[in-house]
Amino acid sequence: MTRISLSKILMRSGLLCLLAAFILLPLVQTIFLSFIATKAHPEATVGSIGLVNYLNIFKSPVLVASLSNSLTYVILNVVLCLLAGLPAAYAFSRYRFIGDRHILLLLLTFRVTPPVSLSLPIFLLFAEFDLVNSPIGIGLVHCLFNIPIAIWILESFISEIPREFDETAFIDGYSLPRFFLTLLIPALAPGIAVAAFFCFIFSWVEVVFARILTVTAGKPITMAINALFSFQTDIGLVMAMTVFSLIPGIAMIYLVRNYISKGFVVRL
Amino acid sequence: MIPSLVIMGVVGIVPLLAAFNYSFFDLFTIREAYWVGDQWYRQIITSSRFYESFGRSVLFSILALTVQVSLGVALARMVARMGPARIFVLMLVALPLVVPWNMIAMMWQSLIDLKSGILGKLFTFSGMVIDYKFNPIHTWILLIVIDTWHWLGLVTILAYAGFTGIPEAYYRAAAIDGASDIAVFRYIEFPKIINALSIAILLRFVDSFMINTEAFAINAGGPQNATTFLSLDLSEDIKGFNYGPAAARSMLSFLIVITVAWLFRIWVDRRSDGDGDIFTGTEKIK
Repeated sequence: MTRISLSKILMRSGLLCLLAAFILLPLVQTIFLSFIATKAHPEATVGSIGLVNYLNIFKSPVLVASLSNSLTYVILNVVLCLLAGLPAAYAFSRYRFIGDRHILLLLLTFRVTPPVSLSLPIFLLFAEFDLVNSPIGIGLVHCLFNIPIAIWILESFISEIPREFDETAFIDGYSLPRFFLTLLIPALAPGIAVAAFFCFIFSWVEVVFARILTVTAGKPITMAINALFSFQTDIGLVMAMTVFSLIPGIAMIYLVRNYISKGFVVRL
Repeated sequence: MIPSLVIMGVVGIVPLLAAFNYSFFDLFTIREAYWVGDQWYRQIITSSRFYESFGRSVLFSILALTVQVSLGVALARMVARMGPARIFVLMLVALPLVVPWNMIAMMWQSLIDLKSGILGKLFTFSGMVIDYKFNPIHTWILLIVIDTWHWLGLVTILAYAGFTGIPEAYYRAAAIDGASDIAVFRYIEFPKIINALSIAILLRFVDSFMINTEAFAINAGGPQNATTFLSLDLSEDIKGFNYGPAAARSMLSFLIVITVAWLFRIWVDRRSDGDGDIFTGTEKIK
């Protein structure tokens, strides 16, 4: 009996090592290159190992600005999605009204619409309202695919809370807004964290809208990296920037790790 | 309810209608538009290139989904039976999800670069030849591997969420009955995770069907159009300022995706008839 389980454990850890190698290899390569000077600089010769690439990021105002641009629109997007998604998710979960399921399906349709197909009209529309070249425009347009995700995840979590929870609160004299703020949101914290996580990653990594909506200014980190490519690309700098772009995402994973591993109910 | 509908209306429905409108015009600038009726649609539908790209997109989606769903489910099943270490495995598979899309192709290219890449050196050392620029099969393998690397985490996390919802008692009952591993999966786990998995499959289908950034960065649709997918044709039109045909292509892509999503919904509805209709949420009325 112990023998079988021992070999099983060995096999399992072997598989996990393979998986870890598969997932970590590209990342290791990136981090490795980010410490190598791949282009001649006054401070470092080609091939030397050091922090020269990281120092160069902070010498370039465009790159520093792109960090804050990205953070601005991602945070704006997550806040908007949660603010708009929470009441909608509550409504879908608790009330029945004509066409409710159709609206939910319609919302999900927008998540599955390829962004390229909407890029042109969105550009024209946003140009009218002067939202091109600003992080606000990107934060807004990312709601297109993130609000459905937020509603869908939050709805699953709210449906897990028994209806009596609401009813008791209303009998106790809570108004709807006060119930939301003081009771529902704390009870829903894991759901909000998971929803925020998914909104964050989908917004952080998105490139199609981020590209078309930033023509001359307000470039996010992804587009700033694209702009670094030229005839003689400084790969080391590109990689250092990529490593930087990973930090907020990794922080996000770390923050929600327990909520995700606890598992959540998913329904469509 | 209202605020989310307003935002979705502005960023979703209005542009969609606009794209639909543009698809019937020949656009020079926005103010100079000529009505051309269904010309763009006829042009696209009668071109053999459209069907070839379409076939390639379908094939890519099928391959990517098969690999990712089977790997993701197997991994999630393993993780669900692990101790506290599960947190680390889940964090590990989630890592590629936070990498910006336009960086992924570059990371892999430098990884398999023959001179400086870790894998590239390993290949040279072992005498293996990879030539993703000119060998279409290698390009395909590389694209599938990259896509799997990127999205395995999403499938795993959602499948894992499904596994955690299975009560321990089900497994004990199965053990008493002496059910085999396969039977446990088929009759206990599969029906429970299909709900969580269905959304993962749907998301993965759409995103792989419209794969753009990676495919373009790796080989720009080559060699000899072997990896020219529908989305690459579309972005070519947009880059060439052919907005009318681009809009028509967008509408066709949209139609294809919606049709598949719809068929998929019907399929899932059928599957879960015992459990209540998951899409209409009848199980919620208690």
